[in-house]
Amino acid sequence: MSARLQVLPQPEPAPRAPEALGERLLAVRGLTLRYGRNPPAVEEVEFAVAAGELVSLVGPSGCGKSTILRAIAGLHRPERGTVELGVARRALGFLFQDDALLPWRTARDNVALGLRFAGMSRREARAEAEAWLARLGLAGLGGRYPAQLSGGQRKRVALAQVLALRPRLLLMDEPFAALDAIVRQQVTQELLRWVEREGIAVVLVTHDLEEAIALADRVLLLGQGPRARIQARHPVDIPRPRDLVAVRGHPAFAPLYRRLWRDLSRAMGREETP
Amino acid sequence: MSASDRGLSVALRRTLGLALLLAFWEWGARAGVIDPFYAPAPSTVAGTLFALFQGGTLYPHIAATFSAALLGLGAGLLIGGLLGFTAALIRPLADLLEPFMMLLNAVPRVILAPLFVIWFGIDLGSKVALSLVLVAVLVFFAVYNGIRDVDRRLVERVLTLGGGRLAVLREVYLPSVTAWVMGSLRVAVGFAFTGAVVGEFVASSRGLGYLLSFAQSTYNAAQTLALILIVMAFVLLLFWLGGWLERRLLRWRHP
Repeated sequence: MSARLQVLPQPEPAPRAPEALGERLLAVRGLTLRYGRNPPAVEEVEFAVAAGELVSLVGPSGCGKSTILRAIAGLHRPERGTVELGVARRALGFLFQDDALLPWRTARDNVALGLRFAGMSRREARAEAEAWLARLGLAGLGGRYPAQLSGGQRKRVALAQVLALRPRLLLMDEPFAALDAIVRQQVTQELLRWVEREGIAVVLVTHDLEEAIALADRVLLLGQGPRARIQARHPVDIPRPRDLVAVRGHPAFAPLYRRLWRDLSRAMGREETP
Repeated sequence: MSASDRGLSVALRRTLGLALLLAFWEWGARAGVIDPFYAPAPSTVAGTLFALFQGGTLYPHIAATFSAALLGLGAGLLIGGLLGFTAALIRPLADLLEPFMMLLNAVPRVILAPLFVIWFGIDLGSKVALSLVLVAVLVFFAVYNGIRDVDRRLVERVLTLGGGRLAVLREVYLPSVTAWVMGSLRVAVGFAFTGAVVGEFVASSRGLGYLLSFAQSTYNAAQTLALILIVMAFVLLLFWLGGWLERRLLRWRHP
């Protein structure tokens, strides 16, 4: 079988610059993904993520960004290429685009779910879940069902669900796209603070260039599908910790934004600048 | 006016409507506007009902119908549920079962009653069989569709949070299916009693259906109405139980 999915117990030694900064948590090699008989959505995609590194993956809608994340998480079998994980699979968190929680479980039990899978007792898992809900500003809402929560609250529950498992690598598929601008800014900032403090590595899929730059250490640009490849890789030289509002005023921000926009327009077949 | 006050006044108006109908009926029968041969006065029906219970001869009949309906309901839920579950998860089995189930679903299944009498005799067996078939087909489709309709995203959530196949089954499939089955439980209860009573119409030596067909053959409208009331009371009781169960199990839906 050409498709292979392997989990390496040990991270690869001696990473090369500039692809990886230190210990690599993830290496994607020659990844080609397709749905059914269609031509491949993405082709020969290569990148690596170091411990604590935030990488944004941007590109036109429908270019296969999400599928790359799904392949990393083992939800989509690659046509060709490999995904190597330098962490155990349970140290991999996936934050999805929608906020689908188990509707028949309370917020508390939704957060406790992964902890229970990891072998924690019901009582311990619930206590831990409550602590995570409190940390994300949802204290006292643990007994509510998803139907009783607002969109922003559900998103926070989903975030608590993933963070409670203490991931070392977090995959995020436009996680806050459905939220209104203010709530989105708040939740994103909270997440960023947590990720920076805990040194969690992130692969963020987004089509929002500002968000991509504001959060990431590196921005990878995927071209127009089908057969999309990585067209450009830009480092983001803005120090951490970052404030989501202040970062937009950093001198490095605007030039990078313009370059990314130019690259993206080129990738989509239009020679345009804003 | 609070919500509970409004609920009370609705209940009051409904009771009033029923009381008015009964009062009109009673008056009509006594005044000769309604022929008591066809529609005996409510007081006459109540008297017949009372007499039926007082004699003590009614209880074996109630027991017969009740056991047929409940056995049919239980077995129907179990068999229909298991078939639906396995068919939804094992594709070839679904291809095998679906045409058969479609056919059973399309025809009025009570036409099987005479056949069941030939196969299982005039005792409990044929009634349970009819009840079972009525319920099982309904539950089969409820469970089958329930599983087919499972939200893929929830399955992926459970998998990415570290759950295995068993966890997916317990956390996603079972609750989804429960919701579908609860939705058809009321209909299933009605079907179970339909099966039992119709089975008794066709051939039997006891049961409420047997008494009904006896009352009909003697043109005893009062007794017929009294027996109908008994069946209705039992079905309503089961509806209420089912509703209670539904509220408990599906609390997440209407918290």
